[in-house]
Amino acid sequence: MTAISSDKLMPSPPAKRWRLHRLPNVDRKRRMIAYGLSLLIWFILVGAGLALASFPVKDIAIRSISATLGSSYGLQQTLTLAAPLILTGAAVAVAMRIGIWNIGGEGQFYFGAWAAAGVGLFLPEGPAWFMLTLMAAAAAIAGAIWIVIPAVGRAYLGISEIITTLLLSFVASFLVYYLAAGPWRDPVVPTQAATARIVYELPALDDGAHLGILIALGAVAVLGLFLNYSKWGYEVIIAGANRDVAVYAGIPIRRRIIEVMLISGLLAGLAGMIELTGVVHRLQGGISNQYGALGIPIAAVAGGSLTGVAIVAGFFAILLNIGVSLQTQGLSVHSVLGITGLLLFIIAAAEAAARFSFRRVATS
Amino acid sequence: MIELLTGMLTTAVIAGGVLALAGMGELLTERVGVFNLGLEGLMSLGAVGAVIVVNAGYSPAAAVAVVMALGLVLGAIFALGTVALRADQVLCGIALTFLGVGFAAWIGRPYSGQIVHTQFAPIAIPFLSDLPIIGKAFFQQNILVYFGYVALPLLVHLLFFHTRHGINLRAVGENPAAADAAGVSVQMIRFGYVMVGSALAACAGAYLTLAFVPAWTEGLVAGRGWIALGLVTFANFMPLQVTLGAILFGTLSSFGFAAQANGWPVPSVVFTIMPYVGTVAFLFIRALSQRGSHRLIMGPAALGHPYFRDER
Amino acid sequence: MAELESATIPSPDGSANPPMVEMRGIDKSFPGIIANAAVNLDIRPGEVHALLGENGAGKSTLMNILTGIYQPDAGVILVDGQPVSFRKPADAIAAGVGMVHQHFKLVQAFTVAENLHLGFRETPLVVSRAILRRRTEDLEQRYSLKVSPEAPIYRLSAGEQQRVEILKALSRGAKLLILDEPTAVLTTEEARLLFRVIRQLTADGFSVVFISHKLDEVLDISDRITVLRSGRKIATVLAADADHKMLANLMVGHAVTPDSQQRPQTAREPVIALRRVTTASEQGVCGLDHIDLTLYSGEILGVAGVAGNGQRELSETLTGLRPPTEGSIDIAGADVTRSDARVFVEAGIGHIPEDRLRSGIAATLSLTRNAILREYPKAPLSFGPWLREKAARTFVDALLKTANVAAPSVTMPIRNLSGGNQQRFVVARETRVATRALIAAYPTRGLDIAATETVRSALVALRNAGVAVMVISEDLDELLSLADRLIVLYGGRVIGERQAPWNRDDLGMLMGGRVDDRN
Repeated sequence: MTAISSDKLMPSPPAKRWRLHRLPNVDRKRRMIAYGLSLLIWFILVGAGLALASFPVKDIAIRSISATLGSSYGLQQTLTLAAPLILTGAAVAVAMRIGIWNIGGEGQFYFGAWAAAGVGLFLPEGPAWFMLTLMAAAAAIAGAIWIVIPAVGRAYLGISEIITTLLLSFVASFLVYYLAAGPWRDPVVPTQAATARIVYELPALDDGAHLGILIALGAVAVLGLFLNYSKWGYEVIIAGANRDVAVYAGIPIRRRIIEVMLISGLLAGLAGMIELTGVVHRLQGGISNQYGALGIPIAAVAGGSLTGVAIVAGFFAILLNIGVSLQTQGLSVHSVLGITGLLLFIIAAAEAAARFSFRRVATS
Repeated sequence: MIELLTGMLTTAVIAGGVLALAGMGELLTERVGVFNLGLEGLMSLGAVGAVIVVNAGYSPAAAVAVVMALGLVLGAIFALGTVALRADQVLCGIALTFLGVGFAAWIGRPYSGQIVHTQFAPIAIPFLSDLPIIGKAFFQQNILVYFGYVALPLLVHLLFFHTRHGINLRAVGENPAAADAAGVSVQMIRFGYVMVGSALAACAGAYLTLAFVPAWTEGLVAGRGWIALGLVTFANFMPLQVTLGAILFGTLSSFGFAAQANGWPVPSVVFTIMPYVGTVAFLFIRALSQRGSHRLIMGPAALGHPYFRDER
Repeated sequence: MAELESATIPSPDGSANPPMVEMRGIDKSFPGIIANAAVNLDIRPGEVHALLGENGAGKSTLMNILTGIYQPDAGVILVDGQPVSFRKPADAIAAGVGMVHQHFKLVQAFTVAENLHLGFRETPLVVSRAILRRRTEDLEQRYSLKVSPEAPIYRLSAGEQQRVEILKALSRGAKLLILDEPTAVLTTEEARLLFRVIRQLTADGFSVVFISHKLDEVLDISDRITVLRSGRKIATVLAADADHKMLANLMVGHAVTPDSQQRPQTAREPVIALRRVTTASEQGVCGLDHIDLTLYSGEILGVAGVAGNGQRELSETLTGLRPPTEGSIDIAGADVTRSDARVFVEAGIGHIPEDRLRSGIAATLSLTRNAILREYPKAPLSFGPWLREKAARTFVDALLKTANVAAPSVTMPIRNLSGGNQQRFVVARETRVATRALIAAYPTRGLDIAATETVRSALVALRNAGVAVMVISEDLDELLSLADRLIVLYGGRVIGERQAPWNRDDLGMLMGGRVDDRN
C-alpha cells in the first residue's frame, strides 16, 4: 500500500484502524442476514414486552401457533384473514413499483366496501353469482375513484400522495361510519351501528375459508403477470427505477403513474368487498381490522415483490389471528399495528445498516 | 350572535392549538431536510403519556415536561434510523406512527374515556381579555395556547431569519453538501431538530388531552398528525404561515361546534371531515398557485434526501 | 521525464521558504478504485501551481483530501512545516485551505450575503438583512471582488457565482485557494477576468492550486505544473520549461498523434434538418434561438462551445425530447416537429445523453432491462402487449458482445458493471438504434483512455457507414480530431460554421461570442 522511500521524508509506519464505509450495493447475502437479524430482534423485543406486561409469553406462543396452524379451523381463519391482506399489500406494492406510496389503502377499502354494500342492499335482487360479480366490480371501481384525486395531484402537480391518500382515508372511514350508523342503519336491529345483513355471501371453500382467498390470489397473479411480462409493466418498472431514463425512453410517465395508482386503489377496494361479503356481511364502522394500514408493512417487508406479498400476508394473517384471539386478554387490534410498526422500523434500519461495512485503513 | 362568534373563535383557537404545536415541530424537522411521518404516533404517545402522568398525581406542567422528554428520546431513535443510518424516511415514519398509535392504545386502556380533571387553567391577560369576542377567544387561554400561537412562531421566525444559526440550519435543508463544505455539522443539526420536532409533537399530544378534549380514547388523534404534515407544505415552510394555517383549520373545526350549538340540519359528519378535505383542497390550491414560479417548489431542496459526504 | 526535487528549484519570491502546504505519500482508494497512490505535492507561497491530468487521474480526490472532505488512507499533510490532520472540512478551512469546487457549493435559494455567512464563525449571532449586506460590502472592498449581496444565487451567472465562491474562501482566511476546473463554465471573457483575479491574489501572497485539463490555460497562468496519471504523480515541472506536447505526453503516457480521418467520398444527403428551431428559455439557461442546421449522412458534425449555450437543448430537440416552440424539424423529408421521442427512435436516431450514467441507464435494474430500453416496443422484442423473454435474452447477449463487455450474468443490476463498461453498453445500444443519425453529447467524458478510443472509433465507423453523427464536446482537441465540419454554439445560436483546416484562435473567439467578419 504505502511505498516508503526516504525515511526522513516519510512518517513512521502508519497506525491502522477500522473505519466505516458505505457500500453502493447490497448483495443478497447481506440482505438476507439483515432480514434474519431483524426478525430475531423483533421476536425478542415483542416477547420481552409481552412478558413485562405479564402475559404468559411461552404459553401464548405455543397456543397461538397450534391454534392458527395446528388445527384446520385455525388454518381456515388464517386464510380468511390473509385474503384482504394480500390485496392491500399488493396495492401498496404495485404503487411502489413506480415509486409512489399509496398509504390510503384503508380508505379505499372502506369506500369499496361501501360501494359493494350499496349494490347488495339497494339493487333489485338477482342470482348470487351475478350480484357478487357486480359488487366486486363496484368495489373495485370505487376504490379506484377514491384514489383519483391523489393520483392527479401527484402526477400533474407534484402533491405528496402520502398526505393526500392518508387524509382521504380518514374521510372514507368517517363517511362509512356515519352511513352505517345513520341513513343505512338496519331498521330491524337498530342498536347495532351497522346496516342490514347483505344476503349475498361469498361461498365458502370446503366449509372453511371463503372464496376471497382465491379471488385475492387470482387478482395478484394476473397483476404480476402484467407487471413482469408486458410492455406496460416494463414501462412502470423503468419509470419507478429512474424517471430520467423513462423520459429518455419516451415513456408517458404521468399516464403510467395514474394507471398504477388506479390499480392500487382498485385492489384495496376489492379487499373491502371481500371482507364485506365473506366475513362481516354488514357494512359497519369498524369493518376493517386495519387491513389497509397493514398493507404497508406487508409490501415493505416483501420488498415490493408480489409473490413476497402473498407470503408475508400469510405471516401477518397469523399475527393478526393471534392478536384477535388475544383481544380477550387485553390486546387490541391496534396493538398488532404497533407490533408491525416495530418490525417495520427494525427492518428499515437493518437494511440501511447492512450497507455499512468496516474496512481497515491506515491513518496518519 | 356575539355568543356564537365568541364560541366559534374560542373553539377555533383551542382546536388549532394542536396543529400549531405539531406543525411547528414538523416545520423544524422538514426545514433541515427530514420527513417525520411519525407525527401521529408521537402525538398519540404524548396524549396518553400526559394522562398517565396527571393521573399519577403530578401537575399538567410536569406531564408536558415528561412527555416532551419522551418525545426527545423517540426523536433520537428516529434520527438514529433516518439520519445516522440513512434508512428510508417514509418507512421509518410510518413505522413510528404504527408503533406510537398501537402502543398508546395498549397502555391507554385503563384510562379510556375518563375525564382528565387536572388540566391547564386559562390565564387571562389583563385588559385585553375584556375585549368583546376576541377577548375571550385570544386572551383567556391556557399557557400552551400562548406558547403555541405566540412564543413558538416568534422564536422560530427569529431563529430562522435573524440568527447565524438560522442560516446554517436552513442551508442543511437546502443544500447539505454546501453546508458541510462550509463547516456546518449537517448530521448533528438534523439529529437535533428531529428530536426537537418530535418533542413538540409529543407536546401537541399532551395538549390534546390536557387542554382540549380532555380525555383519552383510542384513536384520539384521529389524523391530526397527518393534517399537520399537510399544513407545513401548505404553509410554504414558513413559521408564521404555519400558525395562521393552524387557526384556519381550527376555524374549520369550529363550524362543527356552531352547528351543534345551533342545531343546524347538517349531519355532523360533514364537519368531521372538513379539516381533512380542507387540507387536501388547500394543498391543491397552493400547488396550482405555484405553478408559474420555479423557485422553492414545495420546500427545501434537499428534503427527504439523506446526506452522504464520502460518496463516490 | 525525471521528477524534479522541490528543494532544488528556486521559489517565485527567490527565498528558500518551506512550502506553504505539503502533501506526502497520500494514498486513497474506494471500493474497486485506487484514486491516489503515494502522491507528493508541495505548494509555495505566492505561486500558481497547476494540477494537470485527465479525468479519473485523481486530481479531485487529492484536493478533497486536502480540504478535509475525504480522509487519506495513508500519508501526511503539512501546513507551514507542521503536520496537520483534517478530519472535516472545517479543519482545513481553519488551517487556511479554501476550495472553489467545479460544482459550486452554494445554496441556490439563498442570497449572496447569506451564502457568504454560512457556517462562518465570524458571522454575528444575531443578523439581519442590513447587517449581512453591510458585511458583504466590506468584504467586497477588502478583496476587490464585486458581487451582488442581495441577489439570490439562482439568478447569477456562472462567473458571478464563482466570484462568490472565491470571496467566501478568502473571507474564511484562506491562504491557499484551490480552483477545480474553474473555466469549465466560464466564457472566454469571464475566464480572462478570473485570471486577472488570480494574478492579483498571488501578488498579494496567496497561493493558488489550479486544477485543469486545458493545456493552454495551464501554460498561461501557472508557475509550476504537477501532472497526475492513474492516481500517481508523474512529474512536477516549471511552466516556463514546458509545452503542449510534453504535457500531453506526461498526461497520457505516450506520444499523442492527432487522428487522421479519411472520409470516404460518398454523396452527402441531408438526414435531419432544423429550420428556425426555437425552444423556450428557462431558469437562466438559454434556449435555442431560430437555429438552422442540417445533419448530413456520412459526416461527423462537431458542436463546440462553452457548456450552457444551448448544447443540451440542441441534443434534446434532435432526439424528440424537447419539442420546439417555433420552427420545424424533419427527418429525411418527413416532418417530426410535434413527434415524441419514440418516433425519433423509430426513425433511426440514436442518442448518447450527456449524463448517460444517470439518464441513460436505470442503475438498479438488470442488464436485460437496460438493453431493451430503446427497442422494446416493436418486434422481435415484443408481441402485442407482451414482452418476449427469449428474444430479450438473445438481444442482450448480442449487445454485450458488440460492446465488448463481459458480464457474469444478465440479471444482475447494471450498476455492478464498472463505469467504463456501462458507457460501452450505452454506446453499443445507441449505435444499434442509430441507423440514420447519432447524437452524442460529451461521449468520452469521464472515460479512461481505452474506452475513449473505443467510443471514438465507433463514431468514426458509424460515419464511414453513412450515418450522420453529431458530437457535442467541451474538448476542442477531440472535436478537431474527429469532426468533418464544426459549428459553434453561443447563446442558443449557431454563431459560426467551419471546415478543416482549423484555426484555434478563430474558434476560441467564436466560443467566446466574438463573431468576426468571416461568415
